[in-house]
Amino acid sequence: MGNQIIIDHESQMPYIPVSQGDMEWNKTGTWRTQRPFYEDKTPPCNATCPAGNDIVSFILRIVNGDFEGAWGLIREENPFPGICGRVCFHPCEVKCNRGRLDEPIAIHALERFVADFAFHLQGQKVSGKKKERVSKKNKEKVAVIGAGPAGMTCAYHLARLHYDVTVFESLPFAGGVLRTGIPSYRLPKEVLDWEIFAIESLGVKVRTGVRAGPAMRIEDLSGYGAIFVASGANVSRHLKVPGEKSRHVLDGLAFLKAINLGEEINIGPRVIVIGGGNTAIDVARSLIRLGNHPTILYRRTREEMPAFEKEVVEAVEEGVELKFLVSPIHIQDKKGLKRVECQRMKLAEIDETGRRRPVPVRDSAFFLEAESVIVAAGEEADLSFFPRGIKKRDGIVLTQGGGTTTFEGIFAGGDVASRERTVAHAIGSGKRSAVAIDCYIRGEDSEKALQSLLVGNGPSVSLFPLFHPGRPSRNPHVVTFEELNMDYFERMRREKETQYPLPERIKGFFEVTSPLNERTASEEAGRCFNCGTCNECENCYTFCPDASILKGAKSLSHQVDYDFCKGCGICFVECPRRAISLKEESR
Amino acid sequence: MKRIITGNQAVAYGVMLSHVELIAAYPITPQTTIVEELSELCARGRVKAQFLKVESEHSAMAACIGASTGGVRTFTATSSHGLAYMHEMLHWAAGARLPIVLVNVNRALGPGWNIWNDQSDSLSQRDTGWIQLYCEKNQEVLDTILQAYRIAESVSLPVMVVLDAFVLSHTSEAVDIPSEEKVNGFLPLYSPKYPVDPMNPVSYSGITTPEYYLEFRYKIQKAMNGVSEVAKEVDDQFKNRFGRGYDLIETYGKERGEILLVTSGAVTSTARTVIRKMSGKGWDIGGMKVKMVRPFPSREIYQALQGAKKVAVIDRNISFGVGGIIAQELRACLYHREKRPPVFGFVSGLGGRDITPDLIEEAIQYTLDHSQPEDDIIWLGLKK
Repeated sequence: MGNQIIIDHESQMPYIPVSQGDMEWNKTGTWRTQRPFYEDKTPPCNATCPAGNDIVSFILRIVNGDFEGAWGLIREENPFPGICGRVCFHPCEVKCNRGRLDEPIAIHALERFVADFAFHLQGQKVSGKKKERVSKKNKEKVAVIGAGPAGMTCAYHLARLHYDVTVFESLPFAGGVLRTGIPSYRLPKEVLDWEIFAIESLGVKVRTGVRAGPAMRIEDLSGYGAIFVASGANVSRHLKVPGEKSRHVLDGLAFLKAINLGEEINIGPRVIVIGGGNTAIDVARSLIRLGNHPTILYRRTREEMPAFEKEVVEAVEEGVELKFLVSPIHIQDKKGLKRVECQRMKLAEIDETGRRRPVPVRDSAFFLEAESVIVAAGEEADLSFFPRGIKKRDGIVLTQGGGTTTFEGIFAGGDVASRERTVAHAIGSGKRSAVAIDCYIRGEDSEKALQSLLVGNGPSVSLFPLFHPGRPSRNPHVVTFEELNMDYFERMRREKETQYPLPERIKGFFEVTSPLNERTASEEAGRCFNCGTCNECENCYTFCPDASILKGAKSLSHQVDYDFCKGCGICFVECPRRAISLKEESR
Repeated sequence: MKRIITGNQAVAYGVMLSHVELIAAYPITPQTTIVEELSELCARGRVKAQFLKVESEHSAMAACIGASTGGVRTFTATSSHGLAYMHEMLHWAAGARLPIVLVNVNRALGPGWNIWNDQSDSLSQRDTGWIQLYCEKNQEVLDTILQAYRIAESVSLPVMVVLDAFVLSHTSEAVDIPSEEKVNGFLPLYSPKYPVDPMNPVSYSGITTPEYYLEFRYKIQKAMNGVSEVAKEVDDQFKNRFGRGYDLIETYGKERGEILLVTSGAVTSTARTVIRKMSGKGWDIGGMKVKMVRPFPSREIYQALQGAKKVAVIDRNISFGVGGIIAQELRACLYHREKRPPVFGFVSGLGGRDITPDLIEEAIQYTLDHSQPEDDIIWLGLKK
């Protein structure tokens, strides 16, 4: 470091004003009233993801060409990137700040891309691969009831926390609704198998064909430090109309399960599907693939349909007929032909679901004919096997944070304990319960632990800090569009996944959507603003008038040189993504 | 090789022979043909310089400053309003001690709009820290450019070489264009004292606090003080090599007579003719040509003036509110001397009006007829 040069005679001076030394002796940092510092904040996508994925970070890995690393990063939170990349309703994209400039990042497509990339890289080795068990140094055993997304996620993280986990599954295979409820044109079975296999590889035992109930009462399971019940919602809701129980009237879940298990079904060709949810759409699109002509009856309008918009659009493209404001009142059986007596509906005032309530139109009855009827009017959870006295409300088990029930040692999650019945919510629920069970067994405060793991303001949690202690965590502040510097972003077209042509895709149950490739995925990832996340764009380094941005530190790529930073705030303003914070200097 | 060329062509050949590496200029009458000639020479490869087209004279000088700081020999030329527009950058070039050579073709400033000859443009830049050399003929123009680079690079100050609009710039005379080899022996390649070195970065012309600013200005003045000696030495070497030279102050006719007539620029040639003619008729008079106006060669001038009984100055310029600028400089230089002949300050020929032999005779007659001037300014040839 140079010292201040004191000149007391003109002969010691050069004849032009040219620097003789440097100004490092002049610690201009003492002038600072505002202190900039690097601090990653929470992007809206992360804050919105029910599964608690660190979306911005995995996208950054894609930008850097580390596709497998991106996959690994998702799996720090979520064992099902291949599944979520396909079937999640991606609320992250709705909240994506990029949507305010042009179009949101295709986050689901990127997630699927990295999962497929890893699958192709590692999948082939699966069959001959020896299972890699994590040590069971905790030795405590945990039982999980139900091998669906909630149960398997909970088992996955508990295994990573070195617990000895056994999953009990009533069906002959793991996967739950992922296997029985989602048709393979949306979720190929090999993707599910591979991701389940990866969980089992950690030493999670899955005991199939074991049904919780009178024969195996969960409160009687002995030797387990805790029990996590994630048995799902797999009882079809009834219409409560005459004729519903007759032959050739199927329930939607049973139909999908039969198809997914490859069973022969005698149905159609004309099929009336009753309901407006994802099950109804899955049923109808599956029927199309079996060569049938499905007609969906829904008592409200398209606007109120709970099914995902994209699924509805694809169903219509594929030839599914939709009849709105129609409600069946009687299913008659006439020599194998179904005559469905319907009445027309109209929308009245808003009901407790926030949608307008359908009411019958007088004297509007009419008949529809079909060979088969499938009822897909929603699903309920079977709560009959829970221990007596456990608190329930509105058809679900009552739980507190982390799935704690009123029965000590029994935790519940997924569809059995929630009305938000999506794969992502189930995964999030399984994660929270893994933390709560760990705390319960170790006698620690689970609420406090969950609070410290919240993504943004919750309710999702990130388990990354649990497995990588000491890494700086994100500030929970969720970055808004207004906090970004739009001078640095140009409008760019969103990369889209492509769909196989209609005539092809309705011929069978192969996957409808083809993934991004390495180029399109990299370009799409490159569109990401990286809200609140330093991506080393070097704007701060370029703009700092005092050359006070230091590069090259290992833990954090950039640091502020507080010896010289005058606190002008240019770095804070010019940071395109609000990865720099500014606070008043305290002296 | 002798050729019949204009003053502006003489400038271009002088620049060509000086191995200039950057030329940045913006055209303005009557300078334009200099730039045209140089751009041709660059295009033909006769001058191996970067020819930079700029959007203004301010930028032209700024480009020269940048290039000169970077360590290359630079040149620009302008006139009148163009020079005025450069004003800020002229200060910068001198303050940064850059040996830039600028040719100014003397032209009056508007309004009224005027493209013709007078010295008000260059003389109003006399406080910018530039050395100013005024030429009398085209040969002197070419030779002065060669000398200007030697002087500039020796004392680290910029030099303005000045010639009269049209009288020299667009008038052809026989000029000896020396060979490149001969010039190379006189003017070595430029080697900067503080070149830009990426391996040893420094900051140039940074903020200079009151603690040191005065010392830098002192050093400029100190360099100015040394210019006369350097210029004489350079001219001596030039004389040895080329057989011709130009004194900073040149006297002719009778030095210690009744009247010494002082001029600068091309009008000196007219004055020489008049004085020769009048001396032949028995008049006791002589003349003095002032080539260097900055730094003002007070010592040399006093030595030349002290024998004369009266001094008559013809200024082709005016500082409003005072008078002819050269006359003022002479008065200032004489004030604290022992012998102080009266100085008659004539102002004439502004805006390109001819200063004819008759007008010069009229000035001499007036000086002879009066023991002291009636006023600080005596207007010569004024319609009244």
